[in-house]
Amino acid sequence: MANLFTGSEILLESLRRQKVDVVFGLPGGAVLPLYDALYSAGIHHLLMRHEQAAAFAADGYARATGKPGVCLVTSGPGATNLMTGLTSALMDSIPVVALTGQVPLSMIGKDAFQEADTIGISLPSTKCSYLVRAAADIPAVIERAFKAAISGRPGPVLVDLPKSVLMEKAEPSYPSGLGEERPERAREWRDEDLVRAAEMIFESRNAVLYAGGGVISSDAWRELRELAELTHIPVTTTVMALGGFPSRHPLSLGMLGMHGSYATNQSICHCDLLIAVGARFDDRVTGRVNGFATNAKKIQIDVDPSEINKNVRVDLALVGDARETLQALLRALKRDPGQAAPPSRQQWLQRIDSWRAEHPLSYDKYANTVKPQYVLETISKHAEDDAIISVDVGQHQMWAAQFCSFSRPRTWLSSSGLGAMGYGFPAAMGAQLAFPDRQVVAVVGDGGFQMTLNDLATVAQYHVPVKIAIINNRSLGMVRQWQEIFFEKRYCDIDLNYAPNFVKLAESYGIRGTRVEHRTDVVDAVRDFLSDREPRLLDFWVDPAENVYPIVPPGAALAEMVVEPPRVLVEEEEVLDDLWAV
Amino acid sequence: MQWLIELETENDPIPACRLINIFRRKGVKIVTMGLAAKVEGFSIVALVETAETEVDHIFNFLRRTQGVRDVTCYRHETSGEPAYVFADTNADASSVKRILQAFPDAGLIFAIQGKYFFEVPAGGGSRWAALNHDAPGILPFARFRVARGVPRQELVAVLPER
Repeated sequence: MANLFTGSEILLESLRRQKVDVVFGLPGGAVLPLYDALYSAGIHHLLMRHEQAAAFAADGYARATGKPGVCLVTSGPGATNLMTGLTSALMDSIPVVALTGQVPLSMIGKDAFQEADTIGISLPSTKCSYLVRAAADIPAVIERAFKAAISGRPGPVLVDLPKSVLMEKAEPSYPSGLGEERPERAREWRDEDLVRAAEMIFESRNAVLYAGGGVISSDAWRELRELAELTHIPVTTTVMALGGFPSRHPLSLGMLGMHGSYATNQSICHCDLLIAVGARFDDRVTGRVNGFATNAKKIQIDVDPSEINKNVRVDLALVGDARETLQALLRALKRDPGQAAPPSRQQWLQRIDSWRAEHPLSYDKYANTVKPQYVLETISKHAEDDAIISVDVGQHQMWAAQFCSFSRPRTWLSSSGLGAMGYGFPAAMGAQLAFPDRQVVAVVGDGGFQMTLNDLATVAQYHVPVKIAIINNRSLGMVRQWQEIFFEKRYCDIDLNYAPNFVKLAESYGIRGTRVEHRTDVVDAVRDFLSDREPRLLDFWVDPAENVYPIVPPGAALAEMVVEPPRVLVEEEEVLDDLWAV
Repeated sequence: MQWLIELETENDPIPACRLINIFRRKGVKIVTMGLAAKVEGFSIVALVETAETEVDHIFNFLRRTQGVRDVTCYRHETSGEPAYVFADTNADASSVKRILQAFPDAGLIFAIQGKYFFEVPAGGGSRWAALNHDAPGILPFARFRVARGVPRQELVAVLPER
């Protein structure tokens, strides 16, 4: 007699075989059979308070571990609420597997209660989507979904599970699974392409390595560092690649682009060779495209062939996994190490140093107000080396990118491509679930936090020891900054003074909270906060008029960056004081 | 630039839906399109228009899309000796007949909803001249990009009556 199991049981066994240890979800009608099976399945499930947060938490888990994060929601609104999180994962190439309930097969297309065309809605938000039509198909579909999530260019995958399929009984046949092998990544370059790349490096005097998120997702950080040290080529990282090259390394240029440092953007403007590794020439990186690295020959290494020449035309494309390609390039360069690091490159590094000295990243360290940059610098300084920083989106995100130091990959979580506010806190929860013993700090703005603060209940319920640092400027700060600079200070709907008392709110969930309003209190508050083994919240009331500099104005080239704020007249300062008086 | 894309997907409508959405999102103007369901999957043939600078990106984007097995691209060829010819019987009902008169040995690559695509033998210079390939409903092409995921089944289309 056949061993029959329900679709729900088969699904959970399939997840176990994929080594899934935690699922972020929210139950509902269509997935009730699955939750019933989950009751005794031994898979840790975290009850999130919104499906969007479940997707972000799965994303945070994936970024911190490199393994697919899994979220589970019901049909209809459960599925539609996932889409922002899945789109964010798609934009940043993060492996997430989303399991969505669906109405029974016989009801699909009948406008049934809580029915949505989840597959149709997910098409532009996922790498691929599957609708399961029979319980017996579940093992193969789950195997394909996990493989698709991590192979090639990673991304989110959605599996839509009709209720009838979850209840149907079948005799499962499980594929062998992924094991420990490295995911499949295409390689399209030839040996002569590598020779040419090596020659371009030999010939260059002022080269720059431009590293993107692909360095993290392909585990290519060691090779990147080896390449930089072999050739003495400095490295700039996109916001996606922070941690992919040590911030304090002498060859580190930090972040480039719209809020990159003067020295970094100048080096892009003046380099004669730009080597892009797992980076996609995003508009926030390039500024006006026809003004980007105009003096440079360009090499692009990317696993996704559709990224080649998409935004910026390159002289040489190496389509392949970043790590394998860098390993091969290193072998080619090591045949002539003298040429790989010509003495002339020292002059280039000295020139970059002079730009650094001319306009370093800075802020007013003697201000009476709490400067957000100081808060972030302090958190970074006192956090452990392997602490994970998960940011939301806005000014605080850019200050964190500028002023926090990273020495290892997968310690920086950011919704970079989509720029989804509300990401930082749930993503931090995902990372904390993956690494319960590491410090995980959610750096959020008061705007973004109000989009996901309902999950304070989740951290309290499960004792997830996430540390929440609110950079509270009582406004939508980045919007306010743009209205100030680019819309003649016509401040429209950026005021967030009508907000809860975050400290009291945290306390109402049983989480200890503290407000920090004075500069002199910052260090002690941060030390105390980081040393706690329970979830904690710090509400930093920062200078509301602070802006992120440097900035490349929209539509401008990197060379046209504005390095520091224009001098403010006394009358304007008074107007600002009035505006921000609480 | 006008070009022709031939796509083969897995036997699941989801990748086919995804492809149509990609056309929309990438600003690919569809001039004419045919979709056929086969045992092994779906075939899409689309005569499209894009900027020439976008062609490589779109080809690469299509070939890396999950569920897409084969992508073949053909460039509109107005000079030289094209190796392929597209006939749209909706634009000219006699187009297929005229092609087959000029090239009786033409091989049919696909036939979907009144749209036919033939491979024609090399060295047919005078026959091209006789065909008058500037006529409506007949478009000559040259193949310029191919990405094959798995060995494809050849020529499943049915020839129209000669």
